[in-house]
Amino acid sequence: MALTKNYGLGSESLLDAATELVERAYAQDSIHEAEATVSLTVNSFVRFADTGPTQSAERAKVDVHLRVRREEDGQLYEASATGQSLEEVAMDKLIEQASSIAAISPALETPLELGGHVEVCTGTCDAETLTHGPREKAAAIKRALAAAQAVGASPAGLFDTTGRAVALANTKGRLVRNETSRASFALTVTGPSEGGLGGSGWAETIRSKVGELDIDGTIATAIDKAAIGQERGAVEPGEYTVILEPAAVSSLLLFASYYGFGAKEVAEKSSFLCDRIGTKAFADKLTIHDNWDHPMYQTCSFDGEGSPKRVVPLVDAGVLQNPVTDRRFAVLGGGTADESTGHGEVQPSGDGPSAGCLCVDAGTTSSADLIAGVEHGLLITQFHYTNLIDPREMMLTGMTRNGLFLIENGRIVKPLKNLRFTESLLRAMKRVTDVGSELDISGALFDGEVITPALRIDGFRFTSATDF
Amino acid sequence: MTDYMKLSAAAVKEAQKVGADYADARTNLLQTESFGLHNGALENASMGEECGLGLRVLVDGAWGYAATVGTDKSALHEVATRAVNAARALSGARTEPITLSPDDVVSGEYRTPVQEDPFAMSAADKVAFLQEADKGLQGEDCVVARDVNLGNRRERQWFAASNGAEQYQELVRCGAGVSATAAKNGVVERRSFPASFGGDYRAAGFEHVRSMDLVSHARQVRDEAVQLTTAPICEAGTRDLLLMGNQLMLQIHESVGHPNELDRVFGHEVDLAGASFATTDKLGEYQYGSDIVNLVADSTVEGGLDTRGWDDDGVASGRWHVVKDGIFNGYHTSREWAKRIGESTSRSCNRSEGWYNPPIIRITNLSLMPGTWTLDDMIADTEDGVLCDTVKMWSIDQRRLNFQFTTEIGWEIKDGKKGRMVRKPTYQGNTPDFWRSCDAICNESHWQLWGVPNCGKGNPMQVAEMSHGCSPARFRNQSFVV
Repeated sequence: MALTKNYGLGSESLLDAATELVERAYAQDSIHEAEATVSLTVNSFVRFADTGPTQSAERAKVDVHLRVRREEDGQLYEASATGQSLEEVAMDKLIEQASSIAAISPALETPLELGGHVEVCTGTCDAETLTHGPREKAAAIKRALAAAQAVGASPAGLFDTTGRAVALANTKGRLVRNETSRASFALTVTGPSEGGLGGSGWAETIRSKVGELDIDGTIATAIDKAAIGQERGAVEPGEYTVILEPAAVSSLLLFASYYGFGAKEVAEKSSFLCDRIGTKAFADKLTIHDNWDHPMYQTCSFDGEGSPKRVVPLVDAGVLQNPVTDRRFAVLGGGTADESTGHGEVQPSGDGPSAGCLCVDAGTTSSADLIAGVEHGLLITQFHYTNLIDPREMMLTGMTRNGLFLIENGRIVKPLKNLRFTESLLRAMKRVTDVGSELDISGALFDGEVITPALRIDGFRFTSATDF
Repeated sequence: MTDYMKLSAAAVKEAQKVGADYADARTNLLQTESFGLHNGALENASMGEECGLGLRVLVDGAWGYAATVGTDKSALHEVATRAVNAARALSGARTEPITLSPDDVVSGEYRTPVQEDPFAMSAADKVAFLQEADKGLQGEDCVVARDVNLGNRRERQWFAASNGAEQYQELVRCGAGVSATAAKNGVVERRSFPASFGGDYRAAGFEHVRSMDLVSHARQVRDEAVQLTTAPICEAGTRDLLLMGNQLMLQIHESVGHPNELDRVFGHEVDLAGASFATTDKLGEYQYGSDIVNLVADSTVEGGLDTRGWDDDGVASGRWHVVKDGIFNGYHTSREWAKRIGESTSRSCNRSEGWYNPPIIRITNLSLMPGTWTLDDMIADTEDGVLCDTVKMWSIDQRRLNFQFTTEIGWEIKDGKKGRMVRKPTYQGNTPDFWRSCDAICNESHWQLWGVPNCGKGNPMQVAEMSHGCSPARFRNQSFVV
């Protein structure tokens, strides 16, 4: 695109642009501090279904965020503006917009200094991922279509590659930049048994580099999960021992990421951490970190304030640890702003810090042995539309999807019709009795991804059933 | 012709030059502003502007789409080449060519009717407005979070298609809301007005926000949040369910709107958002609801968040029954999808989130038509029920059948009288059983449009806006769970 010709994906040029924007803002009499964040996203995706590729896009965008402060009579006034252009005219418009809101904003009650100089990892955007186009994606999609059609099933999926560069500069000398890439291939296979709507399987592979995706393994797993031609049994709602595969674990733990592991939720008493920090609320076998730098998938090395992301222990052998912070909540927690764990949003923001890179430590039990250890229970591939009923108890509800199986005497005996669970994350994590040895990364319906092994949980509660 | 329309038209010409059989281009200019007070402090004060062009082409029976930020005419050749090359690369993997319905795509202009332009009002006045509303939330120590939000959007779109049609639309959306979160003895409860998750939005000017009377409702919200912390949890069991509009609208959205999207019915959304139980064999015959249930899709209704002149296929907006007298009657379609059910014209439901995304079928404004009851009479006629108000949590399965919803607040109804407040009322059900159990719908004086500004669909996910109108209604013998 012309965009990439002008700026490249290089974060260095974005840092130059962010610095220029800060300098232009600071040159205004009305602005006394400024912070600019500039990001460039280059994305290519192809969706597909039974008729082949159904939708695609080749696209690029710039996002520019400017935070300004004015000082008057010892008081600080703050505002921000966002745009999508790095042209001089657009920069000046952004400065004017932010400045005009700062002029009428109430004074900050507890102003913090902007962050100063720090060193961060600049990361790498994989060149193959960045240039991976529809032609390359079509080749993989043809394999998926052929494999699904060979078993009489309908495929649907997404092949997506993204490169992203981001840079932040401010008037306190903070100059940080980073590059990342992400590639994913996901396939859902739906069998013909129930009017084309039942008997589905799913698998996904996500990595930082497109060349590391296991596409053929993903196709095989999705087809296997669909259990084509097998009659689905039914079980009554109730409590079961379950083996949650990584995607199912992910859709539960993401709610702790959204609503629990952040310092704002703790301060405002809505987090499950309240009154539980330092207590063994999860099972001994569970250790969880927030780790942006996991070798399986690397994310940006700094947060929305340009603070370096730290690897933060959140659950240590079942004991709940302190929440993640940003600059504001680092101070409210009794430290200095520079002690932020690096989990803040681009400021100013009403959102508090959040742990967006949850990683559960692997255990020692293989997937086969996890199943072999269950006398009577369920194997769960994925949950659908999980949502939060109560944040303090982390009460969640959602549906099983794309592969629910009955385990009897250590063997998978048949696929099942789906169930709805209504269960507290706290209660579930306390009942983890085994942890798988194989890590995987997966997301859910809403944002975010978790790196986790499979978990065995005893007494997991299901409250209703479906007929498919 | 404006420079933006020239840009869209030039993109279409460029696409034809490099081999597109069909092309349309959208240049979008989106202005946004949002203000948010949290515990009295201005935590969010932001203006935003984005502009870009999205070009969609059909080549050899496959779609290609390319998008670029800005309005640089020199980028058009590369954008067109990328879109056309993508379509060519993908066409070989298609099992059948994509064709479009022969809808009229004509030129024209559409603007949201606005009495008070929200962008003309000073930022100072907007912040002062929020501060005034925040006063109503103050005064209770156990209220740990007070939030007041206001947001405005103006989206301008210049659409050009390869048949020569040119359409200009200017859509203004405006909304606000207040919420209070109280915490006491380990119980945390939130109340919101007029709706949760940021408030209620409408295609209108600032007159919509002024009509809300946020200040006096803020006091009520604060008091109810505090009362909820000591209210009993709604008990499990089978009782009648009475839903206020700002909960019923989500029920319409999730259990009628989404299953009615035709691409979902054919499994093209199954990879993330899911499929649908409302399969084509049910069209025209299936008892979706009781015979008083009439659900009407309408992209022309005044104030609807999806009220506009045309969709992103360029097809004119319209109105039709999705459910008529309880019977399943029609789908949301696009030019690509209409023929799959033997219809010659699209229902004008193909929409995208801005220039960055290609369009997909989206729910338009979808409303439950009013009945004959007053709310007081409906309560008086209920022996054992729960009146539930305001969305708190929702979850529904991948075929849109099994659902579970929790509202912010409920009140028990015993022997025709509204009784004690209950917290976390949670009901679980099945879509057709639920709609078939509807035996009372309040009349037009209770009817209101509710905005959904954050509907997610697609993969990668896109956000779209729509409204759902309804008045309170009763559903017999529903299952409450704890």
